Amino acid sequence: MTKREFVRELEDQLEMPEGSLKENQALAELAGWDSLAAVLFMALADEKLGVTLSNDQIAKSKTLNELLALLDDRLTTA
Amino acid sequence: MKASVAAIRYALPEAALDNEQLASEYKGWPAEKIYEKTGIQTRRVAAPDECASDLAVRAAQALMVQASLDPSSVDFLLNCTQTPDYILPTTACVLQHRLGLPLSCGALDFNLGCSGYIYGLGLAKALIESGQARRVLLLTADTYSKLINPADKSVRTLFGDGAAATLVLAKGKETLIGPFVYGTDGAGAGNLIVPTGGMRQRVVPQAKLVPDNSGNARTVNDLYMNGAEVFNFTLCVVPEAVKQLLAKAEIVQEAVDLFVFHQANRFMLDHLRRKLQIPAEKFVIAMEQVGNTVSSSIPIALCQAQEEGRLAPGALVMLVGFGVGYSWGATLIRWGSSSLD
Repeated sequence: MTKREFVRELEDQLEMPEGSLKENQALAELAGWDSLAAVLFMALADEKLGVTLSNDQIAKSKTLNELLALLDDRLTTA
Repeated sequence: MKASVAAIRYALPEAALDNEQLASEYKGWPAEKIYEKTGIQTRRVAAPDECASDLAVRAAQALMVQASLDPSSVDFLLNCTQTPDYILPTTACVLQHRLGLPLSCGALDFNLGCSGYIYGLGLAKALIESGQARRVLLLTADTYSKLINPADKSVRTLFGDGAAATLVLAKGKETLIGPFVYGTDGAGAGNLIVPTGGMRQRVVPQAKLVPDNSGNARTVNDLYMNGAEVFNFTLCVVPEAVKQLLAKAEIVQEAVDLFVFHQANRFMLDHLRRKLQIPAEKFVIAMEQVGNTVSSSIPIALCQAQEEGRLAPGALVMLVGFGVGYSWGATLIRWGSSSLD
Protein backbone atom coordinates (compact mmCIF):
# COMPACT_ATOMS: atom_id res chain seq x y z
CA MET A 1 0.00 0.00 0.00
CA THR A 2 1.35 3.45 -0.84
CA LYS A 3 1.51 6.36 1.56
CA ARG A 4 -1.07 8.21 -0.53
CA GLU A 5 -3.48 5.26 -0.44
CA PHE A 6 -3.12 5.00 3.31
CA VAL A 7 -3.77 8.71 3.79
CA ARG A 8 -6.84 8.44 1.58
CA GLU A 9 -8.15 5.56 3.71
CA LEU A 10 -7.53 7.65 6.80
CA GLU A 11 -9.42 10.62 5.30
CA ASP A 12 -12.27 8.23 4.57
CA GLN A 13 -12.36 6.89 8.14
CA LEU A 14 -12.25 10.42 9.56
CA GLU A 15 -14.91 11.52 7.06
CA MET A 16 -12.70 14.21 5.58
CA PRO A 17 -12.70 15.20 1.91
CA GLU A 18 -10.08 13.54 -0.28
CA GLY A 19 -6.86 15.50 -0.33
CA SER A 20 -7.67 17.52 2.78
CA LEU A 21 -5.13 15.78 5.00
CA LYS A 22 -1.73 17.34 4.50
CA GLU A 23 1.41 15.55 5.66
CA ASN A 24 2.69 18.45 7.71
CA GLN A 25 -0.73 18.82 9.32
CA ALA A 26 -0.39 19.52 13.02
CA LEU A 27 -2.72 17.06 14.72
CA ALA A 28 -3.55 19.38 17.59
CA GLU A 29 -5.03 21.83 15.09
CA LEU A 30 -6.98 19.22 13.16
CA ALA A 31 -10.70 19.44 13.91
CA GLY A 32 -11.94 15.98 14.76
CA TRP A 33 -8.58 14.59 15.87
CA ASP A 34 -9.52 13.12 19.21
CA SER A 35 -9.03 9.83 20.99
CA LEU A 36 -11.48 8.17 18.59
CA ALA A 37 -9.34 9.32 15.66
CA ALA A 38 -6.30 7.80 17.35
CA VAL A 39 -8.21 4.52 17.61
CA LEU A 40 -9.21 4.72 13.95
CA PHE A 41 -5.59 5.26 12.97
CA MET A 42 -4.54 2.30 15.10
CA ALA A 43 -7.22 0.10 13.53
CA LEU A 44 -6.27 1.17 10.02
CA ALA A 45 -2.57 0.44 10.63
CA ASP A 46 -3.51 -2.94 12.02
CA GLU A 47 -5.93 -3.89 9.29
CA LYS A 48 -4.14 -2.56 6.21
CA LEU A 49 -0.53 -3.06 7.23
CA GLY A 50 -0.58 -5.58 10.06
CA VAL A 51 1.15 -3.09 12.32
CA THR A 52 0.16 -2.85 15.96
CA LEU A 53 0.92 0.61 17.27
CA SER A 54 0.76 1.58 20.90
CA ASN A 55 -1.34 4.49 22.06
CA ASP A 56 1.89 6.01 23.39
CA GLN A 57 3.48 6.12 19.95
CA ILE A 58 0.40 7.80 18.52
CA ALA A 59 0.14 10.29 21.37
CA LYS A 60 3.80 11.34 20.86
CA SER A 61 3.22 12.17 17.18
CA LYS A 62 2.58 15.85 16.59
CA THR A 63 2.03 15.87 12.83
CA LEU A 64 0.58 13.48 10.28
CA ASN A 65 4.12 12.95 8.99
CA GLU A 66 5.25 11.70 12.38
CA LEU A 67 2.30 9.31 12.48
CA LEU A 68 3.09 7.98 9.04
CA ALA A 69 6.74 7.58 10.04
CA LEU A 70 5.59 4.96 12.53
CA LEU A 71 4.53 2.90 9.54
CA ASP A 72 7.45 3.82 7.31
CA ASP A 73 8.82 0.43 6.44
CA ARG A 74 5.37 -0.88 5.52
CA LEU A 75 4.33 1.88 3.16
CA THR A 76 5.69 2.16 -0.36
CA THR A 77 6.18 5.58 -1.91
CA ALA A 78 4.68 6.18 -5.36
CA MET B 1 -19.13 -36.35 35.45
CA LYS B 2 -18.48 -33.47 33.10
CA ALA B 3 -19.92 -29.97 33.21
CA SER B 4 -22.36 -28.52 30.70
CA VAL B 5 -24.19 -25.25 30.14
CA ALA B 6 -27.85 -26.17 30.54
CA ALA B 7 -29.71 -22.86 30.39
CA ILE B 8 -29.23 -19.10 30.41
CA ARG B 9 -31.58 -16.24 31.19
CA TYR B 10 -31.04 -12.52 31.58
CA ALA B 11 -32.68 -9.49 33.19
CA LEU B 12 -32.44 -5.79 32.42
CA PRO B 13 -33.62 -2.75 34.36
CA GLU B 14 -36.68 -0.97 33.06
CA ALA B 15 -35.34 2.53 32.37
CA ALA B 16 -33.73 3.05 28.99
CA LEU B 17 -31.22 5.63 27.81
CA ASP B 18 -31.46 5.92 24.04
CA ASN B 19 -29.42 7.85 21.50
CA GLU B 20 -32.04 10.57 21.13
CA GLN B 21 -31.70 11.33 24.82
CA LEU B 22 -27.90 11.35 24.59
CA ALA B 23 -27.98 13.57 21.49
CA SER B 24 -30.16 16.09 23.29
CA GLU B 25 -27.65 16.29 26.14
CA TYR B 26 -24.45 16.38 24.13
CA LYS B 27 -24.20 19.03 21.46
CA GLY B 28 -22.77 18.13 18.09
CA TRP B 29 -23.46 14.44 18.42
CA PRO B 30 -26.63 13.42 16.58
CA ALA B 31 -28.38 10.15 17.34
CA GLU B 32 -27.50 8.52 14.01
CA LYS B 33 -23.83 9.35 14.56
CA ILE B 34 -23.88 7.68 17.95
CA TYR B 35 -25.40 4.53 16.50
CA GLU B 36 -22.95 4.52 13.61
CA LYS B 37 -19.93 4.85 15.88
CA THR B 38 -21.00 2.47 18.61
CA GLY B 39 -23.59 0.08 17.22
CA ILE B 40 -25.76 0.86 20.25
CA GLN B 41 -29.30 2.23 20.13
CA THR B 42 -30.34 1.83 23.75
CA ARG B 43 -28.78 0.98 27.06
CA ARG B 44 -30.72 0.17 30.23
CA VAL B 45 -30.12 2.05 33.45
CA ALA B 46 -30.85 0.68 36.92
CA ALA B 47 -33.18 2.70 39.14
CA PRO B 48 -31.59 4.60 42.04
CA ASP B 49 -32.61 1.91 44.52
CA GLU B 50 -31.97 -1.01 42.16
CA CYS B 51 -28.74 -2.94 42.64
CA ALA B 52 -26.95 -5.42 40.40
CA SER B 53 -28.04 -8.13 42.82
CA ASP B 54 -31.70 -7.23 42.21
CA LEU B 55 -31.17 -7.80 38.50
CA ALA B 56 -29.37 -11.05 39.34
CA VAL B 57 -32.36 -12.23 41.38
CA ARG B 58 -34.72 -11.58 38.47
CA ALA B 59 -32.43 -13.39 36.04
CA ALA B 60 -32.03 -16.34 38.40
CA GLN B 61 -35.75 -16.61 39.03
CA ALA B 62 -36.48 -16.52 35.31
CA LEU B 63 -33.86 -19.23 34.82
CA MET B 64 -35.36 -21.44 37.48
CA VAL B 65 -38.77 -21.17 35.85
CA GLN B 66 -37.42 -21.83 32.38
CA ALA B 67 -35.35 -24.82 33.45
CA SER B 68 -37.96 -26.08 35.93
CA LEU B 69 -35.21 -25.91 38.50
CA ASP B 70 -35.95 -26.48 42.14
CA PRO B 71 -33.81 -23.95 44.07
CA SER B 72 -33.07 -26.55 46.72
CA SER B 73 -31.15 -28.57 44.13
CA VAL B 74 -28.53 -25.85 43.56
CA ASP B 75 -25.37 -26.66 45.49
CA PHE B 76 -23.12 -23.77 44.48
CA LEU B 77 -23.66 -20.10 43.68
CA LEU B 78 -21.05 -18.01 41.85
CA ASN B 79 -21.73 -14.27 41.58
CA CYS B 80 -19.57 -12.21 39.23
CA THR B 81 -19.91 -8.50 39.92
CA GLN B 82 -17.92 -5.30 40.27
CA THR B 83 -20.89 -3.47 41.78
CA PRO B 84 -21.69 -5.57 44.85
CA ASP B 85 -24.32 -4.65 47.45
CA TYR B 86 -21.63 -4.22 50.12
CA ILE B 87 -17.89 -4.37 50.62
CA LEU B 88 -18.93 -7.10 53.03
CA PRO B 89 -20.76 -9.37 53.48
CA THR B 90 -20.49 -11.25 50.19
CA THR B 91 -23.42 -10.45 47.92
CA ALA B 92 -23.66 -14.14 46.96
CA CYS B 93 -24.51 -14.95 50.58
CA VAL B 94 -27.35 -12.44 50.51
CA LEU B 95 -28.48 -13.94 47.19
CA GLN B 96 -28.52 -17.47 48.69
CA HIS B 97 -31.10 -16.19 51.12
CA ARG B 98 -33.13 -14.21 48.61
CA LEU B 99 -33.25 -17.07 46.12
CA GLY B 100 -34.15 -19.72 48.68
CA LEU B 101 -31.08 -21.81 47.97
CA PRO B 102 -30.29 -24.49 50.57
CA LEU B 103 -28.11 -23.83 53.61
CA SER B 104 -25.74 -26.47 52.29
CA CYS B 105 -25.04 -24.38 49.20
CA GLY B 106 -21.59 -22.85 48.67
CA ALA B 107 -21.60 -19.21 47.59
CA LEU B 108 -19.02 -16.65 46.61
CA ASP B 109 -18.56 -13.39 44.73
CA PHE B 110 -15.78 -12.90 42.28
CA ASN B 111 -14.70 -9.50 41.02
CA LEU B 112 -14.14 -9.48 37.27
CA GLY B 113 -15.64 -7.47 34.44
CA CYS B 114 -15.59 -8.23 30.75
CA SER B 115 -13.72 -11.53 31.19
CA GLY B 116 -15.94 -12.66 34.07
CA TYR B 117 -18.19 -15.08 32.21
CA ILE B 118 -15.27 -17.13 30.95
CA TYR B 119 -13.74 -17.36 34.44
CA GLY B 120 -17.19 -18.18 35.84
CA LEU B 121 -17.54 -21.12 33.45
CA GLY B 122 -14.02 -22.23 34.34
CA LEU B 123 -14.80 -22.16 38.05
CA ALA B 124 -18.16 -23.90 37.58
CA LYS B 125 -16.55 -26.64 35.49
CA ALA B 126 -13.78 -27.08 38.05
CA LEU B 127 -16.26 -27.38 40.94
CA ILE B 128 -18.29 -29.98 39.08
CA GLU B 129 -15.46 -32.03 37.64
CA SER B 130 -13.64 -32.14 40.97
CA GLY B 131 -16.78 -33.56 42.51
CA GLN B 132 -17.48 -30.56 44.73
CA ALA B 133 -20.78 -29.59 43.17
CA ARG B 134 -23.39 -30.89 40.75
CA ARG B 135 -25.58 -27.86 40.02
CA VAL B 136 -23.87 -24.49 39.81
CA LEU B 137 -25.78 -21.26 39.42
CA LEU B 138 -23.47 -18.74 37.76
CA LEU B 139 -24.64 -15.14 38.01
CA THR B 140 -23.16 -12.11 36.30
CA ALA B 141 -24.52 -8.70 37.26
CA ASP B 142 -23.40 -5.08 37.09
CA THR B 143 -24.70 -1.53 37.31
CA TYR B 144 -21.81 0.43 35.84
CA SER B 145 -24.23 3.32 35.31
CA LYS B 146 -23.88 4.10 39.00
CA LEU B 147 -20.13 4.58 38.52
CA ILE B 148 -20.39 6.86 35.50
CA ASN B 149 -20.43 10.65 35.61
CA PRO B 150 -23.23 12.14 33.44
CA ALA B 151 -20.64 14.51 31.98
CA ASP B 152 -18.62 11.61 30.58
CA LYS B 153 -20.31 10.81 27.29
CA SER B 154 -17.61 8.38 26.20
CA VAL B 155 -18.50 5.74 28.79
CA ARG B 156 -22.10 6.75 29.30
CA THR B 157 -22.74 5.88 25.66
CA LEU B 158 -21.19 2.46 25.86
CA PHE B 159 -22.16 0.78 29.12
CA GLY B 160 -25.54 -0.69 30.00
CA ASP B 161 -26.79 -2.33 33.18
CA GLY B 162 -27.90 -5.93 33.25
CA ALA B 163 -27.58 -9.39 34.71
CA ALA B 164 -27.57 -12.99 33.51
CA ALA B 165 -28.03 -16.34 35.18
CA THR B 166 -26.48 -19.52 33.80
CA LEU B 167 -27.08 -23.05 34.98
CA VAL B 168 -24.04 -25.30 34.77
CA LEU B 169 -24.76 -28.99 35.43
CA ALA B 170 -22.90 -32.22 35.85
CA LYS B 171 -23.78 -34.26 32.79
CA GLY B 172 -22.36 -37.37 31.23
CA LYS B 173 -18.80 -38.06 30.16
CA GLU B 174 -18.35 -35.83 27.16
CA THR B 175 -16.42 -32.58 27.52
CA LEU B 176 -18.95 -29.85 26.81
CA ILE B 177 -17.06 -26.91 28.31
CA GLY B 178 -13.40 -26.19 27.63
CA PRO B 179 -10.50 -26.06 27.13
CA PHE B 180 -9.65 -22.69 28.59
CA VAL B 181 -7.14 -19.99 27.83
CA TYR B 182 -6.63 -17.33 30.49
CA GLY B 183 -4.58 -14.15 30.63
CA THR B 184 -3.86 -11.22 32.87
CA ASP B 185 -1.88 -8.01 32.53
CA GLY B 186 -2.05 -5.71 35.51
CA ALA B 187 0.02 -3.12 33.67
CA GLY B 188 -3.27 -2.03 32.14
CA ALA B 189 -5.02 -1.51 35.46
CA GLY B 190 -5.15 2.25 35.16
CA ASN B 191 -6.86 2.23 31.76
CA LEU B 192 -10.27 1.10 32.99
CA ILE B 193 -10.69 2.05 36.59
CA VAL B 194 -12.77 3.64 39.32
CA PRO B 195 -9.89 5.18 41.29
CA THR B 196 -11.65 5.64 44.63
CA GLY B 197 -14.03 3.64 46.78
CA GLY B 198 -11.64 0.81 47.52
CA MET B 199 -8.92 0.66 50.11
CA ARG B 200 -6.24 2.42 48.05
CA GLN B 201 -8.19 5.66 48.08
CA ARG B 202 -11.52 6.18 49.83
CA VAL B 203 -14.33 8.10 48.12
CA VAL B 204 -13.46 11.82 47.93
CA PRO B 205 -16.31 14.03 49.18
CA GLN B 206 -17.21 16.94 46.85
CA ALA B 207 -14.67 15.74 44.30
CA LYS B 208 -13.84 18.19 41.50
CA LEU B 209 -15.22 17.64 38.02
CA VAL B 210 -12.18 17.49 35.74
CA PRO B 211 -12.59 17.84 31.96
CA ASP B 212 -10.32 15.93 29.55
CA ASN B 213 -9.21 16.68 25.99
CA SER B 214 -12.19 14.97 24.39
CA GLY B 215 -15.01 17.01 25.86
CA ASN B 216 -15.71 14.58 28.67
CA ALA B 217 -15.51 15.27 32.38
CA ARG B 218 -15.43 13.12 35.48
CA THR B 219 -14.34 13.18 39.09
CA VAL B 220 -11.86 10.85 40.73
CA ASN B 221 -14.83 8.88 42.10
CA ASP B 222 -16.08 8.01 38.61
CA LEU B 223 -15.30 5.37 36.02
CA TYR B 224 -12.41 6.27 33.75
CA MET B 225 -11.60 4.46 30.53
CA ASN B 226 -8.74 5.17 28.13
CA GLY B 227 -10.44 3.88 25.00
CA ALA B 228 -7.39 3.97 22.78
CA GLU B 229 -5.26 2.02 25.24
CA VAL B 230 -7.96 -0.59 25.78
CA PHE B 231 -8.45 -0.92 22.03
CA ASN B 232 -4.73 -1.42 21.57
CA PHE B 233 -4.72 -4.10 24.28
CA THR B 234 -7.62 -5.89 22.60
CA LEU B 235 -5.87 -5.93 19.23
CA CYS B 236 -2.79 -7.50 20.77
CA VAL B 237 -4.44 -10.04 23.02
CA VAL B 238 -7.65 -11.34 21.44
CA PRO B 239 -6.32 -12.81 18.19
CA GLU B 240 -3.56 -14.56 20.13
CA ALA B 241 -6.04 -16.00 22.65
CA VAL B 242 -8.20 -17.35 19.83
CA LYS B 243 -5.15 -18.97 18.27
CA GLN B 244 -4.06 -20.51 21.56
CA LEU B 245 -7.52 -21.89 22.25
CA LEU B 246 -7.78 -23.51 18.83
CA ALA B 247 -4.34 -25.07 19.33
CA LYS B 248 -5.27 -26.34 22.78
CA ALA B 249 -8.53 -27.81 21.48
CA GLU B 250 -6.70 -29.21 18.45
CA ILE B 251 -9.27 -27.86 16.03
CA VAL B 252 -9.24 -25.47 13.09
CA GLN B 253 -11.11 -22.17 13.18
CA GLU B 254 -13.61 -23.48 10.59
CA ALA B 255 -14.75 -26.12 13.10
CA VAL B 256 -16.24 -23.43 15.30
CA ASP B 257 -19.92 -22.82 14.52
CA LEU B 258 -20.40 -19.53 16.32
CA PHE B 259 -18.16 -16.88 17.88
CA VAL B 260 -19.45 -14.84 20.79
CA PHE B 261 -17.04 -12.18 21.95
CA HIS B 262 -17.48 -9.76 24.81
CA GLN B 263 -19.70 -7.02 23.37
CA ALA B 264 -17.38 -4.10 24.05
CA ASN B 265 -18.29 -1.85 21.13
CA ARG B 266 -19.28 -2.45 17.55
CA PHE B 267 -16.25 -0.86 15.97
CA MET B 268 -13.87 -3.05 17.93
CA LEU B 269 -15.92 -6.19 17.22
CA ASP B 270 -16.10 -5.51 13.48
CA HIS B 271 -12.38 -4.93 13.39
CA LEU B 272 -11.63 -8.16 15.26
CA ARG B 273 -14.00 -10.15 13.07
CA ARG B 274 -12.29 -8.91 9.92
CA LYS B 275 -8.83 -9.39 11.37
CA LEU B 276 -9.62 -12.98 12.35
CA GLN B 277 -11.43 -13.59 9.07
CA ILE B 278 -14.55 -14.89 10.78
CA PRO B 279 -17.56 -14.92 8.44
CA ALA B 280 -20.30 -12.52 9.54
CA GLU B 281 -22.89 -15.27 9.86
CA LYS B 282 -20.72 -17.00 12.49
CA PHE B 283 -20.10 -13.84 14.51
CA VAL B 284 -22.60 -12.59 17.05
CA ILE B 285 -23.22 -8.88 17.53
CA ALA B 286 -25.86 -8.34 20.20
CA MET B 287 -25.33 -4.95 21.72
CA GLU B 288 -27.78 -2.72 19.93
CA GLN B 289 -30.46 -2.81 22.61
CA VAL B 290 -28.32 -3.31 25.70
CA GLY B 291 -24.90 -1.74 25.21
CA ASN B 292 -21.83 -3.16 26.93
CA THR B 293 -23.19 -5.11 29.90
CA VAL B 294 -19.76 -6.13 31.19
CA SER B 295 -19.68 -9.79 32.36
CA SER B 296 -23.28 -10.32 31.21
CA SER B 297 -22.53 -9.39 27.62
CA ILE B 298 -21.58 -12.90 26.53
CA PRO B 299 -24.52 -14.75 28.16
CA ILE B 300 -26.95 -12.10 26.88
CA ALA B 301 -25.49 -12.48 23.37
CA LEU B 302 -25.90 -16.28 23.64
CA CYS B 303 -29.56 -15.84 24.60
CA GLN B 304 -30.14 -13.50 21.67
CA ALA B 305 -28.38 -15.88 19.29
CA GLN B 306 -30.64 -18.66 20.60
CA GLU B 307 -33.76 -16.51 20.09
CA GLU B 308 -32.67 -15.78 16.52
CA GLY B 309 -32.19 -19.47 15.78
CA ARG B 310 -28.44 -19.15 15.36
CA LEU B 311 -27.61 -21.75 18.00
CA ALA B 312 -28.35 -25.29 16.86
CA PRO B 313 -28.17 -28.12 19.41
CA GLY B 314 -24.65 -29.50 19.29
CA ALA B 315 -23.16 -26.27 17.98
CA LEU B 316 -19.56 -25.56 18.96
CA VAL B 317 -19.34 -22.03 20.29
CA MET B 318 -16.23 -20.01 21.06
CA LEU B 319 -16.53 -17.46 23.86
CA VAL B 320 -13.91 -14.75 24.34
CA GLY B 321 -14.01 -12.22 27.18
CA PHE B 322 -11.49 -9.38 27.53
CA GLY B 323 -11.18 -6.02 29.22
CA VAL B 324 -10.87 -4.44 32.63
CA GLY B 325 -7.87 -5.64 34.63
CA TYR B 326 -6.54 -6.25 32.11
CA SER B 327 -8.04 -9.70 32.18
CA TRP B 328 -9.03 -12.09 29.41
CA GLY B 329 -10.18 -15.59 28.80
CA ALA B 330 -11.48 -17.83 26.04
CA THR B 331 -13.26 -21.16 25.97
CA LEU B 332 -15.37 -23.46 23.83
CA ILE B 333 -18.80 -24.76 24.79
CA ARG B 334 -20.97 -27.35 23.13
CA TRP B 335 -24.53 -26.07 23.03
CA GLY B 336 -26.97 -28.71 24.17
CA SER B 337 -30.69 -29.11 24.40
CA SER B 338 -32.24 -27.13 27.22
CA SER B 339 -33.36 -30.09 29.24
CA LEU B 340 -32.18 -30.91 32.72
CA ASP B 341 -30.72 -34.31 33.51
